[in-house]
Amino acid sequence: MTDTTTPSESLKSRPAFSVLSFISQYGVILTLLASVVTFAILNDRYIDPGIRNTLNIASPLLLLALGLTAVLAMGDFDLSVTGIQSAAGAIVVLLIVNHDWYWIWAILIGLAFCLVAGVVNGTLVSYIGMPSFITTLATGLILFGTRYESADGRNITGSEDLPDIYRDFGVGQPDPWLSLHTPVWISIGMAILLWLLMSKTEVGRYMYAIGGNPEAARLSGINVKLLRASGFVIVGAMALVAAVTSTARTASAVADSGFSTLLGAYAAAFLGAAASRRALFNVPGTVLGVIFLQAVDRGLILEGYSTGVRDIAKGCILLLAMAFTRIGASRR
Amino acid sequence: MTTSALAVPTPLLNISEVTKRYPGVLAVDNVSLSLEAGQIIGLVGKNGAGKSTLIKIIAGAEYADDGYLHLNGEPLELHRPHDATDAGLAFVHQDLQDVGDLSVAENVMLGLGYPRKLGLFVDWSELYRQAAETIARLEVDIDPRQPVGELSVAEQRLVMIARGLAQEAQLLVLDEPSASLTDEEIEHLFAVVRRLRDDGMAVVYVSHRLEEVFELTERVIVMRNGQLVADEATASLNRASLISHITGHEHAQTAAERRASRGVGGRPDSEVLLEVEGVSADTGVNDCSFDVRKGEILGLGGLVGSGRTELARAVFGADHRQEGSVRVHGQEIRDNHPAESMAAGLALLPEDRKTQGNIMDFSVRNNITLASLDRHRVRPRVPAPLPRSEKQAAERRIDRLSIATPHDRQLVRLLSGGNQQKVVIAKWLEQGADVLIFDEPTIGVDVDGKEEIYDIMEELAAEGKAVVFISSEFSELVGVCHRVLVLHEGRIVGELEGDAVTEPAIVEICYSQH
Repeated sequence: MTDTTTPSESLKSRPAFSVLSFISQYGVILTLLASVVTFAILNDRYIDPGIRNTLNIASPLLLLALGLTAVLAMGDFDLSVTGIQSAAGAIVVLLIVNHDWYWIWAILIGLAFCLVAGVVNGTLVSYIGMPSFITTLATGLILFGTRYESADGRNITGSEDLPDIYRDFGVGQPDPWLSLHTPVWISIGMAILLWLLMSKTEVGRYMYAIGGNPEAARLSGINVKLLRASGFVIVGAMALVAAVTSTARTASAVADSGFSTLLGAYAAAFLGAAASRRALFNVPGTVLGVIFLQAVDRGLILEGYSTGVRDIAKGCILLLAMAFTRIGASRR
Repeated sequence: MTTSALAVPTPLLNISEVTKRYPGVLAVDNVSLSLEAGQIIGLVGKNGAGKSTLIKIIAGAEYADDGYLHLNGEPLELHRPHDATDAGLAFVHQDLQDVGDLSVAENVMLGLGYPRKLGLFVDWSELYRQAAETIARLEVDIDPRQPVGELSVAEQRLVMIARGLAQEAQLLVLDEPSASLTDEEIEHLFAVVRRLRDDGMAVVYVSHRLEEVFELTERVIVMRNGQLVADEATASLNRASLISHITGHEHAQTAAERRASRGVGGRPDSEVLLEVEGVSADTGVNDCSFDVRKGEILGLGGLVGSGRTELARAVFGADHRQEGSVRVHGQEIRDNHPAESMAAGLALLPEDRKTQGNIMDFSVRNNITLASLDRHRVRPRVPAPLPRSEKQAAERRIDRLSIATPHDRQLVRLLSGGNQQKVVIAKWLEQGADVLIFDEPTIGVDVDGKEEIYDIMEELAAEGKAVVFISSEFSELVGVCHRVLVLHEGRIVGELEGDAVTEPAIVEICYSQH
């Protein structure tokens, strides 16, 4: 071991510039900038009001993707997130519209429901040891099915009965500085909270340790089971916020399967990991991923492309991002 | 330096002036050598000496920056691992690389194309027949239909060797093949290797266990700092001269000499730090009781599978304890609660640093502070780590333990095995445990690294901590331990203290149990 001092000193010298590793590191950001510039040139309505509306519409997606970032960092999947969101949205709207509940109590009941769903997922996966992918697929299906049956598959609408203050969570008056709507500020707030948790606290360090090697984490005294279960509770909490902002925006609880939102949220989280230097799931990356997907989507809508084309484009972006990450990783 | 002491006319594989640079490191520095058929060649050197890189180049897993390979006089171009296999080079890596769920036969014939029926369906009976034929050449009794995951480590290695035979390999490279094998299994492995040699195969045997190199090989190649520093007939070397080739300086001490020169005696007469009483676990640990005093180094010896690791895990609470109690500083600790054991002052440095000791994708710094993160808070009541404080702590440990890393933010994955082990040690020193259980800390660690790890254990004992040292190399136990407990089938079957701690005494206890 005495001999290793010489090479270790010279290790500080920088490796030669490599196009591939550069692309793998900055590819996502560069592609995002390139697409924004292209769309802005093609259509002068792209930046304003296009981007602003995009952010507004994207905020439920971002909230869901944030929750997923927490579980993905610990090596788990949660496929029930849109199921929770959909069921919670229905509960809150039903309580206010059909049962004349005061909106705060309705939201609190929704929150309790989401947290319980998270606790159930977390217990099944972390304490009982069931595989997260298939477990949350099952709980998600159950939630969707229940939601569907509860209103005979119809949307629950209530533009008349939802109080203005509740509607404000979905649209609200734009703020005077950046002209962004309330849901954007709510999601920014949640993103900052989760970012602080994951990258600045002991808990966050432990989360990444679990993602890296759960057994080594456990033998280092980390409460692996509790933290993994908590990840699912975080997903539940984010799903509630997403449910409130989305039902508030459309004044209804929409009865769709939510699969495109689910896939979009995963795509955003994986894009974010691809953009990070060490390919870890992280909050700023997820935010970037959501903006990227929405920016491309919005641009293609303005250019008049159909849903199919947009899906193809997003699929290709995801494949490319993953490919560059792999190539970059094998070169390191 | 490349003058082979044994002049055999046609070399099988010629390696000429091969050089490989990694960013900032010259991993292989202008190495030339030739390997002849029908010979067992030992390849030794410290961790980071360039052995693995050289093997990877021959295996086609890494490209050489410079130099040529010739196989049977023909230039050999390797672009991917498959090329090496096709050329008749077979590799058995230290980490088993077989597919556990597949049967023995499927693994043996993996990558060679299974026999077909009607051009589409696997002809299973033919596959089993071919595999059984190949395995029979090793004179072992393994059922080709059994899933590989159910075999012992030794049998799995033999399956890997059989795969080499099936591909008609001319050269077989064995990387640390004896790790976690029992003595009997090692003897059997040696017999297989010798038979392959007699059949005309060239065998490269990589090992840190020098006794094995002397017993098995005819020629030894020593690498140091990426260079080939010795290439000699084994018979012309002795242990001391081989060690001085490996380390580059003149010193070689037997375990007994080390014990004498360090003045390792009986256990100190001080307070008891760890008390283990009647511990049993369903991992096979059976009614074990012992205690360790302040300043004592207690060795746990025994053959592989005797239950040492299982005992350590049950004591620490990594596994469930069925019966018995564990007290640290007189305070009873609950089972299956690693965090509680740690709080009481007990630490376990697990056997496998890759799967249990380190977070390989974390930096050196983050691994070192992982078990003591709450000491680096921004404010005492705010559970957020302060990078500056972590950096100071990590750098202090890197310095104290001379961990070879360019900086504290290097990923642990990129360090050599010995340095990864030191990172695990650093983590627990930083955590401040009073009782440290080291489970096989020197596996895969080179001569100098081992010596450093012994020194660390001795320093800890001198500082008033208690150390439990588990090792399969009895000479290590003799070199440092005040007292040695010998395990067999999960029970403590013998205890040696002070001058009674000798290698023959430990071996005697191990083998008198049958």
